[in-house]
Amino acid sequence: MTSIVQNFRNLALSIKQNGGLYRSILQLYRVDEIKEGEYIGTDRNGNRYYQNKRFFVGRSRWVIYNEKYGLDYDGTHVDPEWHGWLHYVRDDPPTVKPPITYKWVTPNPQENKTGTPDNYVPYSTVKPKIEAWVPKSNKK
Amino acid sequence: MNKLIINSSKKLLSSSLNKNILKSQTALLSNVVPDNRIEVFVDDKPVLVQPGVTVLQACAEAGVEIPRFCYHERLAIAGNCRMCLVEIERTPKPVASCAMPVMKGMKIKTDSPVTRKAREGVMEFMLVNHPLDCPVCDQGGECDLQDQAMAFGSDRSRFTDNLFSGKRATEDKNLGPLVKTSMNRCIHCTRCVRFASEVAGVDDLGTTGRGNDMQIGTYVEKLLASEVSGNVIDLCPVGALTSKPYAFTARPWELRKISSIDVLDALGSNIVVQHRAGDVMRILPRLNEDINEEWLDDKARFSYDGLRRQRLVTPMVRGHDGLLKPCEWDDAFYAIADKLSRASGSQIAALAGGLADAESLVALKDLMNRLGSENVFVEESFPGQASGTDLRSNYVANSGITNLEQADLVLLVGTNPRYEAPLYNTRIRKSLVHNELKVALIGSQVNLSYEYDYLGDSAQILEDLLNGKHEYSKFLAKAKKPLIVLGSAALQRKDGDALLNLATRLSEKLRTQNGCPNDWRVFNVLHRWASQVAALDIGYRSGIEQIKAQKPKILYLLGADEDLVSRVDGDDTFIIYQGHHGDRGAEIADVVLPGAAYTEKSATYVNTEGRAQQASFVVAPPGKAKEDWQILRALSDVLGNPLPYDDLDALRKRMGEVSPTLTSYDKIESASFLPLSVSLSQKVKPALSKEPIRAWQTELGDFYMTNPISRASLTMARCVQSFKKTNEPVKQTQANANP
Repeated sequence: MTSIVQNFRNLALSIKQNGGLYRSILQLYRVDEIKEGEYIGTDRNGNRYYQNKRFFVGRSRWVIYNEKYGLDYDGTHVDPEWHGWLHYVRDDPPTVKPPITYKWVTPNPQENKTGTPDNYVPYSTVKPKIEAWVPKSNKK
Repeated sequence: MNKLIINSSKKLLSSSLNKNILKSQTALLSNVVPDNRIEVFVDDKPVLVQPGVTVLQACAEAGVEIPRFCYHERLAIAGNCRMCLVEIERTPKPVASCAMPVMKGMKIKTDSPVTRKAREGVMEFMLVNHPLDCPVCDQGGECDLQDQAMAFGSDRSRFTDNLFSGKRATEDKNLGPLVKTSMNRCIHCTRCVRFASEVAGVDDLGTTGRGNDMQIGTYVEKLLASEVSGNVIDLCPVGALTSKPYAFTARPWELRKISSIDVLDALGSNIVVQHRAGDVMRILPRLNEDINEEWLDDKARFSYDGLRRQRLVTPMVRGHDGLLKPCEWDDAFYAIADKLSRASGSQIAALAGGLADAESLVALKDLMNRLGSENVFVEESFPGQASGTDLRSNYVANSGITNLEQADLVLLVGTNPRYEAPLYNTRIRKSLVHNELKVALIGSQVNLSYEYDYLGDSAQILEDLLNGKHEYSKFLAKAKKPLIVLGSAALQRKDGDALLNLATRLSEKLRTQNGCPNDWRVFNVLHRWASQVAALDIGYRSGIEQIKAQKPKILYLLGADEDLVSRVDGDDTFIIYQGHHGDRGAEIADVVLPGAAYTEKSATYVNTEGRAQQASFVVAPPGKAKEDWQILRALSDVLGNPLPYDDLDALRKRMGEVSPTLTSYDKIESASFLPLSVSLSQKVKPALSKEPIRAWQTELGDFYMTNPISRASLTMARCVQSFKKTNEPVKQTQANANP
């Protein structure tokens, strides 16, 4: 059970942790909340991971995306190594217990390209109605 | 047994086999003979009919349609389906109306309880052994059995064998790549058997067994080797014989049907092109008594899949690396304009192919004339030494197609109508079967599907016939309505002039000396290509030799694909190809302009008898392709010398100015200049070649792939393949037999 005092202390702590009032407001604007917690590590994309067991499971581990993503952060920016920890699949973060790297694991995971020019378009399996002529002399 | 029925009924009703013969006969007779019609009563309504017609025809006259499966007005009467049973007063049992001649005062009841019960009974028996697979049957929606079961069948079923202990099951037959069989559905009407033996003239189909065990088939597994085999699909009242290429692709109610004409031979058969969402799904014949009756040959019917393959969809220009590269219309036109600006009129030539329409032929000729060139040629050559192409009667089938039915002797010269114009051949056969026509042939000894007198393959025979030295001359002299049919293939020979000369003179001699009727014309040219008559009407000449000798700087090919001109390395002729298929012409071209095929443009074609007809726009030309006359009009604009017509109406007006026959649709303008032509030709004495006259096509395998469309067609390729396959073992055994 938390008292009002405790709440204010937590608020002050999170403002402090987020780097002052101005940066806290920015953070609030960007991710809609400011939380205080223990810094766990940074992944290769520069995302920072935090944990605070004061929150219930499901809210107790979170990521603050690298500022280079701006407001366009996306779930797929989370490094696969950290994904397991962030979603409570693993107890230990990769900084404590590095994941086993299999041969088939891609060394540079890609973010989701949907909505960008690079997005994946499946090829058509429908035969074209008209088969165009290709000159024989061109085929040689 | 079946044959017996057919034969006996043939004798009984030979005069009523064809309604049209009958009608024309009655029209002729009614002037001379007093009205000898007899009165019968159909549902108490009095009708006057000719004696000898059947009860079914009398009912049709009264406007009552009798349900039928086996009866077909163009086939002999079989009377074996029993669906046309009607009650006739004072007869103990219902009678099959299709095989019963009318008698005076006969009272026919087409809707009495007895008739209805009879029909319901027959229908019930048919359905007992007919599979209930209408949902997966290709005939669904256009099935006579479906329709008549709804209209005349019982309203409830007494069929209790729901556990399928035994509907009649029959093995499917393999009739080749065109006709799909599903023999469980067969109701034994024998229409296909009668068609094959009477119209197509091949006794491939027949029946085995009797009663419940009767089967339609080819006895041993073999191809239905006929050039008109597709018609059995239309004839089949149920889904037993359906189209193999069309199988499971569309339903009749999804299709849009557009009337058009066929251009794959020179007859201009009337067709219905059926399409769905811009795809031609099938082609069926359309009734035209003057040309194709209700038949269609297999090439016209099944080569529609060629319209989707090997198409030119974008203009192309040959780059510096010698490869044809796709480009925009502008680029192609400027490439042409660039070359044309550096050539004088006499260095330009145009060559039109066999599928070109009259509109683009006129536009091309106008364009060439504006560029100062008179070198407009057709691929199919026609002799021009005497009056040649100046007189229309020299190059059309003057007597028309229908007059084959009145002729008493037909002399075929250098042609095999069975494959060059299959429906012309079926007319000859029809006349031969019903009117005792005599047919004689000079040329290759081919199988015409009927018996004929073979005179030999030497060109000299024609001269002997003219001089009366040949032993066959006496038959010619006796003929009251003779016809001479000169094949266009024979005119491709070096002595084409001489053959034309002799044939016209012989025709004129027969016409004047045999006492033919005044309007009877003897001389006919049977062309191979749909564009030929229109091209000659417009003023195209044969000039392959001239092109080869002169080597024009610029050669414009309008669908010329017969490999008559070729590109030689180092040859600086700039070749422009306009057409719809990537074939031999496009391969040698420097600029390719994509045009429209015959289903993609409203275009005029003149058939071999000189009848102008319009093909219709059915689907849009693919990709960047345009209608052919529009391409020429646009090109003339780029050249700064625009042709004076902006739309089809203006162009048709211009066509009318060039030759009025081009726009008098569906009429034959009779040309009667043959005497003049003969008097002109007597001055010339061209030499005959010793070479034997050979037919263009001698066997069925040659028939299928003859033009860019059918060469692109997979179905046609399959036909050729299966023909070769079925004929291989025969050849081997022959080789073994004659060591």
